[in-house]
Amino acid sequence: MWSYILRNLLQRLVLLFIVSVIAHGVVHLAPGEPTQVDPSNPRMKPEDIVKIRKAFHLDEPLHLQYAYWMRDLLSGELKSFKDSQPVLPKIWDRFLNSLPLFILATIIVWTLSFPTGIKAAIRRGSIYDRSTAFIAYTLISVPGFFLSYLAILWVVAVLGVPVIGMRTFGMEDAMPWFQGMDRIWHLVIPSLMSALGGIAVLSRYVRSQMLEVIGQDYVRTARAKGLPEDQVIYHHALRNALLPFVTMFGFLLPGLIGGSVIFEQIFAWPGLGRLGYDAILSRDFPVILTINFIAAALTLAGTFVSDLLYAVADPRIRLH
Amino acid sequence: MKLKTILIVAPLVVTVVLIQSYFWVPSYETQTVGNPSRVEKFIDSSIGDAKILNPIIQADSASSDITTLVFEGLLDLDENLNLRGRLATEWQVTEKAYLAVISGARFIDGTPVTAVTLEQRLRRAIASGLIPGLKDQVMGLRRVAAEERSEDISLPGKDDKAQTVKLHLRIPERIEISLRGVDQDLFEKLIPVIGAQYADSAPYDRWVEVEPNERREAVRSQFPQWVPVFEHNPIIEFKLRKGVKFHDGQEFDAGDVKFTYDAIMNPKNLSPRTSDFEPVKKIEILDPYTVRVVYKRLFSPAINAWMMGIIPEHLLNDVELKKEMERRNISPELRKTFGMRESEFSRHPVGVGPYRFVEWQSDEMIHLRRNEDYWEGAPQYKDYFYRIIPDKLTQEVEFRSGAVDRYSARPHQIARYKKDKRYQNFTSLGFGYTYIGYNNRLPLFKDPLLRKALGMAIDVREIIKYILYDEAERVTGPYPKNTQWYDQSIQPLAYDPEGAIRLLNELGWKKNADGWMEKDGKLLEFNLLTNNGNPIRKAVVTIAQNAWKKIGVKCNTQLFEWAVFLQDFINPGKFDAVVLGWSLSQDPDLFQLWHSSEAGPQKLNFVGYNSAEADELIVRIRKEYDIDKQRELTHRLHRQIANDQPYTFLFAPRATEVLDKKIVMMKKDGSYTKITPSRSGSIYYSFNKWKKLEHVPEFK
Amino acid sequence: MGEAEKNRHNGSPDRAAQAVIYETPFDEFWRLFKRDRLAMVGLVVLVLLLFMAVAGKALTEWWVVFDPSTVNLVDKFKSPLSQVSTLVPVDTRPLLGVYILGTDELGRDVFARMLQGSFVSLSIGFIAVGISVFIGILLGGLAGYYGKLRLGIMTVDTLIMRFTDVMLCFPTFFLILTVVALLPPSIYNIMIVIGVTSWMGTARFVRAEFLALREQDFVVAAQAMGLPERRIIFLHMVPNAIAPVLVSATIGVATAILTESALSFLGFGVQPPFATWGNILSDGKGFIFDAPWLFFIPGLAILVVVLAFNLVGEGMREALNPKLRQR
Repeated sequence: MWSYILRNLLQRLVLLFIVSVIAHGVVHLAPGEPTQVDPSNPRMKPEDIVKIRKAFHLDEPLHLQYAYWMRDLLSGELKSFKDSQPVLPKIWDRFLNSLPLFILATIIVWTLSFPTGIKAAIRRGSIYDRSTAFIAYTLISVPGFFLSYLAILWVVAVLGVPVIGMRTFGMEDAMPWFQGMDRIWHLVIPSLMSALGGIAVLSRYVRSQMLEVIGQDYVRTARAKGLPEDQVIYHHALRNALLPFVTMFGFLLPGLIGGSVIFEQIFAWPGLGRLGYDAILSRDFPVILTINFIAAALTLAGTFVSDLLYAVADPRIRLH
Repeated sequence: MKLKTILIVAPLVVTVVLIQSYFWVPSYETQTVGNPSRVEKFIDSSIGDAKILNPIIQADSASSDITTLVFEGLLDLDENLNLRGRLATEWQVTEKAYLAVISGARFIDGTPVTAVTLEQRLRRAIASGLIPGLKDQVMGLRRVAAEERSEDISLPGKDDKAQTVKLHLRIPERIEISLRGVDQDLFEKLIPVIGAQYADSAPYDRWVEVEPNERREAVRSQFPQWVPVFEHNPIIEFKLRKGVKFHDGQEFDAGDVKFTYDAIMNPKNLSPRTSDFEPVKKIEILDPYTVRVVYKRLFSPAINAWMMGIIPEHLLNDVELKKEMERRNISPELRKTFGMRESEFSRHPVGVGPYRFVEWQSDEMIHLRRNEDYWEGAPQYKDYFYRIIPDKLTQEVEFRSGAVDRYSARPHQIARYKKDKRYQNFTSLGFGYTYIGYNNRLPLFKDPLLRKALGMAIDVREIIKYILYDEAERVTGPYPKNTQWYDQSIQPLAYDPEGAIRLLNELGWKKNADGWMEKDGKLLEFNLLTNNGNPIRKAVVTIAQNAWKKIGVKCNTQLFEWAVFLQDFINPGKFDAVVLGWSLSQDPDLFQLWHSSEAGPQKLNFVGYNSAEADELIVRIRKEYDIDKQRELTHRLHRQIANDQPYTFLFAPRATEVLDKKIVMMKKDGSYTKITPSRSGSIYYSFNKWKKLEHVPEFK
Repeated sequence: MGEAEKNRHNGSPDRAAQAVIYETPFDEFWRLFKRDRLAMVGLVVLVLLLFMAVAGKALTEWWVVFDPSTVNLVDKFKSPLSQVSTLVPVDTRPLLGVYILGTDELGRDVFARMLQGSFVSLSIGFIAVGISVFIGILLGGLAGYYGKLRLGIMTVDTLIMRFTDVMLCFPTFFLILTVVALLPPSIYNIMIVIGVTSWMGTARFVRAEFLALREQDFVVAAQAMGLPERRIIFLHMVPNAIAPVLVSATIGVATAILTESALSFLGFGVQPPFATWGNILSDGKGFIFDAPWLFFIPGLAILVVVLAFNLVGEGMREALNPKLRQR
């Protein structure tokens, strides 16, 4: 067991290393350099550019640049090209901003998907089942930003309250309760928007898992014993259908970074996705690479955790 | 059955909690309900976040939006774009000119030149009025002893590596002439005394020694720069305002001015403003409230650089930086490069401006609070929030729901806001203009007539009417239209596609069977590029393509992301034609944009405009200290460039701003008036006097 | 070979024997697919779309009936179905003098632009997926068939699957965004980048299919007969593994179209002169209060098409599901 975990961890570290090397190569070999990104600075002279390139080690060979990056990253002294601020605290701040959005979206996905999916499975083939299926496909087919704009316009036209950003500004002197509710309100629309795709996918998955389990012999047996239908469904079937979802907790982690760029951009949410997007725009290599590195590390950690969880939850699987 | 209950109750609870939060959020109408202090806060918004809040390092507009409120310069521009004292109460421009004594040279009458004779003859000539006008100008004349010094310069050596060359300079005795004002023609006026060929006999072999000697030839052409025979040293003496305090209570004085200059010139700080201050020879502190800036040479725009914010010496000097390194536990490796850029000051600035810095949450907001001790009186607004909303549409949505107080509308939206009773709007001409630039180096675009023909085919009036909704004005030349440097009498190119075709025919281009212009078997075809992200430029590209198609000119269009656009096309000069815009200032100096020496890679004259007449005018303009003469020269330059048509000058867009109507400008007596923008197009000119009322005011 | 395939899909030999008498696998697939009405609607939409895309290419470029690049500033922001104004020169008027879907901020005919865009959007989807399927089959097939071959310290299978793992570690959209932003913007780069970052799923299940197929009698027999490996792989194994690949490819096209529209929204999508639905949509959002159709038409078009691809993909998946087939 321990040797399995150790070997697995080691393997993942190697993977992480390769990922970081590839990412570093891609970013540095592509055209566009941080120094030339400054459009508002017509007075930058070639000498200054040489100086800046030197300060950022951009004039050195790639493998040395990689070494510099790794050294600075591990010693926590990595600086952003854009504003010379340390990268790690910057990412940490943004992570904290993204976190509530992510948590609320996860709560919405998980609380809404299960009842929807289970009901669809029980009433297989009914109007309900077919309409939820259709709605689910519609939700994964609509461009996220299209739907978000519709939602924003609707809120502003009909309800007339602000929805953009993390809070309404100018309320600093209002009562704390108002401020707290205001913050929650600002979470609602963006997290709902980023949850919709998840609800669609997860509810379909719940449905198919339930269908799978309901067809099993032990469920038939339970029914045959004359147990009430609710008990059959929720006690016998659901418990077993839940098993694969345990692993999904592991896969949640990387979702923190990946798909949030667009929603954070629309809702002016100062989270990780926007940090990454702005870094890409300004060719802020240290930030791009570090975010990518963290995302890869989270993915690896996620799969690792889900493997472990699966092994713990399912007695049929033994680690070796 | 617990599981079932949980599965049903949990989503219900979540939904209810989320939906009820809506009832606590204020709408536009209910902003001040239970929150009366809302009117004391001004909430601004911007597409991009600030990068670095240090006026000597920053280079982006968001940072300067903030630093202009937190910091203050010695000077700024008043409503009519004239210089106005801020931290400086008054300033005086004088000059010291130096004339090298060339021993061995002879006067016109054949007597050899010595320091004594030269001084005597000059004195006599000036006092006698032999040289008209100088008598009142010259304050004094004295001899300066010879001196020696060495300098290191780096030259491009073998294999692109820099080589350091040492220079020993033996500067001869010189005559110093102190003048009441700057006179760029001083030495020409002295010709009756020293003769026109005086400088030709300068013995540079004696004055300059190069080490290693084999590089002597490589630097010979620069000798007159190091040991000039004629040297102008303009001087600006600033009297500083007394009793002005930084936000931390420390008093502002001359040391801070000198420190700001030193910080800009410190290579560690990589300041983008070094070229503004490069002409400065030295800065002397005469007393805590008097600073004297001595310049190396004539450079009339130099004074404008002093509009830059002054940074506090007591927070950023070497001792303080060292303390910060200790406190933050910076590694020895990083200490070598640790400078102002790395300092926490850049995220917690302290200045003398009307607003104090409070907080900065990256990509969310910057919060400033008014400086109660501001020397001109505290501003009306108590808090200033700078929100970062990266999307133009959601910015507008926030503005309409009352969570942002200002919106800079796009031209097509302004008509809608003009009708809306809740808002007041401003449209004013700024310092920018949009143009189509042709690569003048290419054989295709070498002929000004061809460029003119292309310009004639484009209906700029139509662009202004339909794309900019009349929120723009036609421009004809290189200066911002709202400055005095712009010659309003120059007529724009008339829209005349027929005339364009005729002109092309005269140049030998004939329409072929497919309807495209052809000459010697080659089509008149080129690529028109611009950066993406700017809908107006994109529209101009499309319209130009379409307009040229009508006269048989084939144009392919491409849009590139800004960094790629600059690096692959503009900087190396590899493009045919581009749609771009300049955002300039009230500076009459256009050297970097139009002088032929600035046409190389990475330079701003990327279209490669090359005109001897324009070059001469540009050089004269930056040496001219008399505003009237300067204006005359700029008008000549404007005409020259308009004739050459290196660009097709299109239009200067008006800034279109929308504000809540409740915001007014307070007067000293407590009454209020409507907000008026300054001539530079900025509505923020009087921002310190703005106030938001509880009700919508009535104006006649 | 036919026998073996039926066996595999049906599980039970008796049923297979019955089925063989009156139904080819495709007929069976089609019968099951037809039962899913949503998928059928999706299929009809896709066929129409394909027709429209080809017609769009033909009518806007080869034989210009609708010219998407004509600028008529006097006719800007005309709402759908409005008449052309008399100020427009006769030779640049739209067909029948009506703007079916209105005009945009430069007075260009939105219908013509959407027609042109449909071809570009679809080609992005198909080519990107083509690239991803090609890489996926190639690597998955190699890993599945030659997996046990050793290259130095590791087997081919380990090498390829570890590489797949590496690719899975990248946050996909962030990676695409980075690469597209750093590279010069071109439609081909976008296709390639989307393709190169989305082959991992295909590779995984092609490998799994190959591992299973290798053990099947017909493959073993073919090997015993000394058939060339090329023949075994491409004629015997790939066709048997292709069905799930097709399902994921169909859904992949939908994803690629969505990805392109997301890139367009962030300003890194396909650049003019190519019009895609994604960039028409992201340009249109600035005019949402003044000309809402510029936002809704491309938005709904993307929704419908992506939905159709997803429904067809799901329908195929269901129809290929062995459990369903037994019924």
